[in-house]
Amino acid sequence: MSSNSIIVSNLTKKFSFSARNESSGWLKNLFSPEKKEIIAVNNISFSVKHGERIAFIGPNGAGKSTTIKMLTGILFPTSGNVNILGLDPTKNRKKLAYQIGTVFGQRSQLLPNLPLTDSLEFFGVMYDMSEKEIKTRITELIELFDLDSFITQPVRKLSLGQRMRAEVAASLIHKPKIILLDEPTIGLDVVAKKALRDLLLKINKEENTTIFLTSHDVGDIESLCERTIVINHGEVIKDLPTEDLSKTFIYEKYIDLVAKTSFENFPELPKGITYSSKDKNKITVIVDIKTISVQNSLKELLTLFEVEDIDVYNADLETVIRHIYEKDSQKL
Amino acid sequence: MKKIRKSFRLPIKILKTLIKDSIQYPTRIVVDTIAILARCGILLILYWYVFKLSNGVINGTTFIFAAWSIFFYFSFMLLRLRDISRLMMQDIQSGNVEVLFSKPISYLSYRMWWQVGSGLYSFVVITILAAIALGLIIGLPYTMVIGIFIPTLLLTFLCGIVLSLFMYAIVGLLSFWIEDINPVFWIVDKIVMILGGSYLPVALFPPLMKKIALYTPFGASQFVTHTVYESWQTNWYQLVGIQLFWIVLLGLVAYFMFLKAREKVSVNGG
Repeated sequence: MSSNSIIVSNLTKKFSFSARNESSGWLKNLFSPEKKEIIAVNNISFSVKHGERIAFIGPNGAGKSTTIKMLTGILFPTSGNVNILGLDPTKNRKKLAYQIGTVFGQRSQLLPNLPLTDSLEFFGVMYDMSEKEIKTRITELIELFDLDSFITQPVRKLSLGQRMRAEVAASLIHKPKIILLDEPTIGLDVVAKKALRDLLLKINKEENTTIFLTSHDVGDIESLCERTIVINHGEVIKDLPTEDLSKTFIYEKYIDLVAKTSFENFPELPKGITYSSKDKNKITVIVDIKTISVQNSLKELLTLFEVEDIDVYNADLETVIRHIYEKDSQKL
Repeated sequence: MKKIRKSFRLPIKILKTLIKDSIQYPTRIVVDTIAILARCGILLILYWYVFKLSNGVINGTTFIFAAWSIFFYFSFMLLRLRDISRLMMQDIQSGNVEVLFSKPISYLSYRMWWQVGSGLYSFVVITILAAIALGLIIGLPYTMVIGIFIPTLLLTFLCGIVLSLFMYAIVGLLSFWIEDINPVFWIVDKIVMILGGSYLPVALFPPLMKKIALYTPFGASQFVTHTVYESWQTNWYQLVGIQLFWIVLLGLVAYFMFLKAREKVSVNGG
């Protein structure tokens, strides 16, 4: 058996829609509207090994959700192939559903008016599990996800954090080999986010579940995923270990200058140094070390400003990701 | 046998879960009861008065037949099968369809069982209570105490459920193409109401409208209203045959529409 859980080759998805043409009459717009096409995913390829934890990230409209929906068989690709655990999602959607779990952060799969146990039992039956298997698995999930305190409460009375834990638990009822999560931590507070990430790490470790998640939250990527695939304008622009992601812009250093009294004016900076933020108390500059060294830039900056304190540091992951998106957009 | 039991396990679970859900919120049944008492009750009072003005007989039919016919229409409506159209539209508009498409189920049959389950509790409780009340108030026509009544009532009721689900599911499936199906739903629903005998019992229809009510799926989905008439005893197999014809036809239409609709799925953010 292949060591890959997911193999995506040359996957493309185009959406077409009718657009009103202002220069045409209403009759033509009604019966023969102009067709426009959007390429949501453009010829992407990647593979994911069993038990890997993948972050699939990109700005809004990059094609993340479209890709996830093609992986689960919800959307039909325009061209290309998807192979999940040896199955084609478009041809074997139901068969594949037994092997995968999905969590869509902005939607709920639970029964809102009934206690969580009812939802878990309901999905157990849906996944064709025996009554005994359902009972055992619910006990396991209660322990694993610490659901005991709210298991008997109607789902609609749960807090968002509790509900997301419950959503993930419900999607794991059938012990899927892969769990696909579309923005699972959206709207959660920092404590709930951490709890959810810890749980996902736990199921990855204990049940070797492959995790494939899309998120705008850098914390999800940093603390959860060992590999990051960056997608923009429907194309994969980076596919690398998460720890290498921050090295992508290693040639950029950030320098904070804290004013001795206050910064009154902001003179033009030498080549290779640009302002990141300007404030009368603090200035942040970005140094391109391919153009000017840190040492020389400090010398230059000290001649321009009277400072109380200096801090030199690398860009954080969020900045790196923003840079990747911005650089890719500039290419267009 | 084991295979049949297995294939009905999820539908039974859906029904049980939704009945439990209904029991959890008893106010819903009170609201449903008030609604049917208001709608059906007003119509029955009006018809009682109209029949009285016509010396008790209109077009060869007496009030007791018209009353039970109207009662069966409203009882059938308690199942709220028509709501499947709007439920499907909501799935598309909200994007909830992606949650259901990621499960090992057939979306169409899941939604149909879900719809049956949604109204089942109200239907059973209110129908039993209202039938007893109506029986005590106006009595039963002789056509309802003969041998074939109960089996043929159940048969046409079952066929009416399947036919209504297919018809309204087709309307719901249109939302994969046009998103807002409300205008189509409104037209179909009003035709069903008129041809089904909601406003006027079918026995009082002019001949041409009676034919339309008999031979279109709109009227056929409500044949349960015909079961109380004398003609039912000789015509029931013909009417059930018409229902079966439409079930097969609309079932195929719904199935092929769904296959096409699946390719049309488009959800917010993808």
